[in-house]
Amino acid sequence: MAEEFNTDSMLSMFLYESYQGLEKLEGIVLEKQDADCFDDSDINEIFRIMHTIKGSSAVLMYENIKTASHKLEDVFYYLRESHPEDVPHMELVEKVLAVSDFITGELDKIKAGSEPDGDEKKLVEDLDQFLGELKGEIKKQGIRLPKANKQEEPTQFYITPVAEDDSHFYRIVIHYRSDTQMSNIRAYSATYALKEVAEDLLYTPEDILSNESSGDSILAEGFHMLLQTKASKDEVMELIDSSEAETIDFDEINKTEYGKALTEFGREAPPIVINLDDDKGAAKDDKQQAPIAPGDYVVKSKETGKGKTLAKNQPKQQAVISVNVEKMDALMDMIGELVIAEATVLQNPDLKVPGLDLTNFQKAAAQLAKNTTELQDVIMSMRMMPLTNVFQKMRRIVFDTSRKLGKDIDFEVIGENTEVDKNIIEHISDPLMHLVRNSVDHGIEENSDIRQANGKKAKGKITLEAKNEGGKVYISVKDDGKGLNKEKLYNKALENGLIGDKLMSDFTEKEIFKFITLPGFSTKEVVTEYSGRGVGMDVVVKNIQSIGGRLEIDSVEGQGSEMTLVIPLTLAIISGIVIQVGEAPFVIEMASIKEFISVSEDALIQEPSGEEYLVLRGDCFPFIRLCEKYDLPGAKTKLEDGIVVVVEHEGKQICVLIDKILQEQEIVVKPIPSYVKKVKGLSGCTQLGDGSIALILDVGGLMIEEERR
Amino acid sequence: MADELKEELLEEDASKGKFMTFQTGREYFGISISYVSEIIQMQPITAIPEAEDYIKGLINLRGKIIPVIDVRVRFKMEPAEYTDRTCIIVIDVKSTVIGLIVEKIAEVDDIMDEDVVPPPTLGGHRDNEKNKYVYGLARTGDTMKLLLDPEKLIKQEDLNILEEVQEEEQQA
Repeated sequence: MAEEFNTDSMLSMFLYESYQGLEKLEGIVLEKQDADCFDDSDINEIFRIMHTIKGSSAVLMYENIKTASHKLEDVFYYLRESHPEDVPHMELVEKVLAVSDFITGELDKIKAGSEPDGDEKKLVEDLDQFLGELKGEIKKQGIRLPKANKQEEPTQFYITPVAEDDSHFYRIVIHYRSDTQMSNIRAYSATYALKEVAEDLLYTPEDILSNESSGDSILAEGFHMLLQTKASKDEVMELIDSSEAETIDFDEINKTEYGKALTEFGREAPPIVINLDDDKGAAKDDKQQAPIAPGDYVVKSKETGKGKTLAKNQPKQQAVISVNVEKMDALMDMIGELVIAEATVLQNPDLKVPGLDLTNFQKAAAQLAKNTTELQDVIMSMRMMPLTNVFQKMRRIVFDTSRKLGKDIDFEVIGENTEVDKNIIEHISDPLMHLVRNSVDHGIEENSDIRQANGKKAKGKITLEAKNEGGKVYISVKDDGKGLNKEKLYNKALENGLIGDKLMSDFTEKEIFKFITLPGFSTKEVVTEYSGRGVGMDVVVKNIQSIGGRLEIDSVEGQGSEMTLVIPLTLAIISGIVIQVGEAPFVIEMASIKEFISVSEDALIQEPSGEEYLVLRGDCFPFIRLCEKYDLPGAKTKLEDGIVVVVEHEGKQICVLIDKILQEQEIVVKPIPSYVKKVKGLSGCTQLGDGSIALILDVGGLMIEEERR
Repeated sequence: MADELKEELLEEDASKGKFMTFQTGREYFGISISYVSEIIQMQPITAIPEAEDYIKGLINLRGKIIPVIDVRVRFKMEPAEYTDRTCIIVIDVKSTVIGLIVEKIAEVDDIMDEDVVPPPTLGGHRDNEKNKYVYGLARTGDTMKLLLDPEKLIKQEDLNILEEVQEEEQQA
């Protein structure tokens, strides 16, 4: 059946939803890893996620995923219904994670285009055993819902199953939100789910799977179902995936009405055997004691436990469409070109003819500039993603690694909602993972006795923090462990022949810390499963450098270390000031400019070595003459003639002498062709409005140069 | 199918044996036309500080930023002033696009493989800057053309540069 319609879009939807579900699941599990048990809403949520995955994987006929998720769903169904005491929480957490890993692995296979062929048997056996232990072989009721998997063939002659005393009849109409994608498949998964409990199930439109356009009619008129079942309203509601539904009209009807409704659906009315008062029927339901008056059920107004989780989820449900990243990139490039084209028009030399009346042109130009800026902002925000998912992964890594190593670690996450460009997210996940592992493995002491002997808490602590500052994102991994031992690092580097025969005093503290980023460096004597092979930190640094970021290492021996990734917020478009030195135009990123200032020669102090400092309002700053540094002819050398720019980078300030300011401009950063040797202090180039090329000054690079002198 | 193959062969033939020749100083040089993507007029060049002297800087080729090198300086000759005859030959060598500043474009010559002779060597003669990039000599008409190997012309020191950069990174 799956082949009958567009499996591609269905598959990507399945993958997308399942990945999201699993991420959420891991989030819940890891958040509660230290708690004694899951609370009701967690159990409900996990149940729901597994249920969704089970349903959709069954539709796509991924048997192993279906079976695994089904088993876990069973476990949580039991937890939810029977509220057993003394659940071994840690074991449960492990089980959930094992299933989640298994499914993730299978999803990865599907994504890569191969068949999900993982063997779920071991997992299922484990879960069965676990469930068996939970039940203690005594409690038998409420374990499994009565199954009545009837595969109706609506076009054939049909006899309605005879209703039993405790059967309920429902008329369900689901209205999906108008922007729901593939509503027909959602509808199908609802029917698929209901088949488990249904004694009888009818729905219109009938051809939801074979006819793709049925999705439109579902959106327009709603998806109508008639259900005969032993399950209670709540149970039925539970089974219907309500994530994309706007409203679910839920009527309990009596048998006569059901018969009538059946004819509406094009079927013969069943013979009425017993005329059952539906109040009684409802009262028989063990969970729902109060009689339920027939009426519209809107999901939000539900009062039971489920209602809570739903209400909680409601605001998170945003209308989302997934777009191919390539298209986004193409769009981004186009915007870049548009920005350049705009500058070319607005700063066209033809406009500089004296005597032109440009009033109207300027008005139109201002409007154009405004629109392109807004367009840029929108595109940028489209590409921005919170770090939540990446941080989620780290939580998992800390959990796994610390347990394997037998270390007790408290993991704190700060600022996980910080947003960065999607491209960058893809690049920082691996480096960050490495840093976190290192912290767990190398950072935190082997056992709590050592910690306590040093006057620390027995439980180690690792803090993962992200913040956004001045166009850069800082992501730091901080532990309160051993810290780095400078002598050890130095000796190791010497031993491995990484630094020649320089003396330890030749290096600053930071430089020594940097040794750990050299290829082939590892101080860990014993190679563990997680780290210590000496490949890693250099890879981390390479990865980070490739996206224009850097790694900062700070550590106090005995108190802990802090590794900070400093990465740009975005790679593409920055706002900058175009300046001129001699003949050459340069661009300085707006974010790093503190001020422009005009000073006289008196403010200059010259050391005998030739180094110069500038005294500004009583403070002394390093001073760079760009013209001398880059040997630019024709530049102004007197301070009075030029302008001094004060630029800041990471709290440090330096003064740079330039000739003049040309204009402010949104610039599209392009790399300097790799053929040209990398120049310190330049981070790229860009095209200006008149088509000429300006070099972009990298303030951080300039400072490193300055410090080294 | 067969036609396509033929066409391909023909196309190859069309560029085979054809050399873009240009004059620098008193000598004529040739570059296989298969490397040449276009010839443009002299453009304003943005100099790159701290770069090798023969890398003149960057130009904007319809939105694409490419480096240009001065062939004279590359050959360790005295740089000549740029005139309106000065041209930039844009070459594409293994996806590296680079502009060559030459004094004067001469013409496109047909030079057959059998007409090419390796440059004569005399002891340390090969160290001569000009000859490093010349793989052969060919006589067409009454002039001798020095045929350049563009890969050597642009790549030569790249390896050293890479090493240098890495070293610096390590020190940093």
